[in-house]
Amino acid sequence: MNKISIRYILFFLVALLLQITVVKYIQIFNWRPDLVLIVLVYFSLRKGPNWGMTAGFLSGLVQDLLSTHYIGLSALSKTIAGFVAGSLQGKFAERAEFFLTLLISGLVHDFVYFMIYTMGENFSLQSSIFLYTIPNMMYTLLLGGFLYYLIEAWATE
Amino acid sequence: MKNIFGLFSRRSSLLLLGFYIILSFVIMTFNDQFTLRGMRFTVLQVVSWVNSVENKFRVLGSVTEENKELRKKVIELSTANQRLQEIMIENIRLRRLLQLKRESNFNFMAANVIGLSQEQSVRSLILNVGSADSVRKNMPVVTDRGLVGKLLIVEPHQSIMQILMDRNSLVSARLQRSREIGVVGWSGNLWLDLNYIPRDIKVEPGEAVVTSGLSRIYPEGIKIGVVGEVQDNEYELFKTIKIKPAVEFNSIENVFVVLTPDSMNMEIARSE
Repeated sequence: MNKISIRYILFFLVALLLQITVVKYIQIFNWRPDLVLIVLVYFSLRKGPNWGMTAGFLSGLVQDLLSTHYIGLSALSKTIAGFVAGSLQGKFAERAEFFLTLLISGLVHDFVYFMIYTMGENFSLQSSIFLYTIPNMMYTLLLGGFLYYLIEAWATE
Repeated sequence: MKNIFGLFSRRSSLLLLGFYIILSFVIMTFNDQFTLRGMRFTVLQVVSWVNSVENKFRVLGSVTEENKELRKKVIELSTANQRLQEIMIENIRLRRLLQLKRESNFNFMAANVIGLSQEQSVRSLILNVGSADSVRKNMPVVTDRGLVGKLLIVEPHQSIMQILMDRNSLVSARLQRSREIGVVGWSGNLWLDLNYIPRDIKVEPGEAVVTSGLSRIYPEGIKIGVVGEVQDNEYELFKTIKIKPAVEFNSIENVFVVLTPDSMNMEIARSE
């Protein structure tokens, strides 16, 4: 295992731990960024879809273990998000690549998640999208832009 | 040749994607298996450890702050004043919690929220109490303000709770004035929903909604919230009632697990 792989593993571990323990301190109203998704998209863009979905599956599974919903739901949505992000490798201009990929894979992630979570139930998907999904996504994009330069500097050092 | 490799690699990606999707569904089907419990136990230990480190840093930070304060008299006074205010707020909160404990016939177990797991709008709270503290699955969790939810996963030293704002959470509730019984659930909005209240029942905003006591999980009389909005739909049998939750779910730090005898008995019966 080379130095860069260890760094990536560290990124995921740190993102997962911060997501559970620290993100509550930076929430605005009810909105929180998804740090794991930021790292996952960054990783998938660098390593491609196969590694992306593997990382997505594992990180999603850890998040599942700490929640009360079905175990496997985050694993599934993060797997697909990793696959989408990895497949978009090189599809956009370099400057906008990270943001656009984060936006697209984030939306796919949320769509898969809610589609299964609300299956067959009386659930207001529309208000959920406006109250949570869009604000969370915006916050994730803003923070993602800032973290992108930090991760980039550290990963390529 | 390059195209063939490209096709192969695309196929392998799709195969791998298919594999992970199937694996995710398999895991969803065999939800709470032993291996997964072992993994969860390990992850919770790490979260607990991180939380204790975080607390130590907080204490260390405040000690360093105190040293600085001793050197600078002016800063000391202002900081001390701020601290007194914090303590005063905490004191009021703890007094309320104590009052709650006195007023109820149940035994309570105090717990701290050590982590928060969130996927989109769905949140679960991680508490620092577990089966070693006599806490069992399905025990209700409250604060001085009202009902927070119930414990769903209990490990020896930590537990994970489901809050009321979860699609899978349903609580039998009663309108305090009319005594009418309905079911409180959540459908993805900012407030909770009170369902199955007939259209001919008079309900006004501001009326309190409490647990009905008809379920084996939640004892009677715990406040859930107050009626926020009431809508009458001409062609429907029931009213549409929105409930403003009594608890502010975003800022929960300390909670009490209600040690209900029913949850204890259910757990004993299950283990037998």
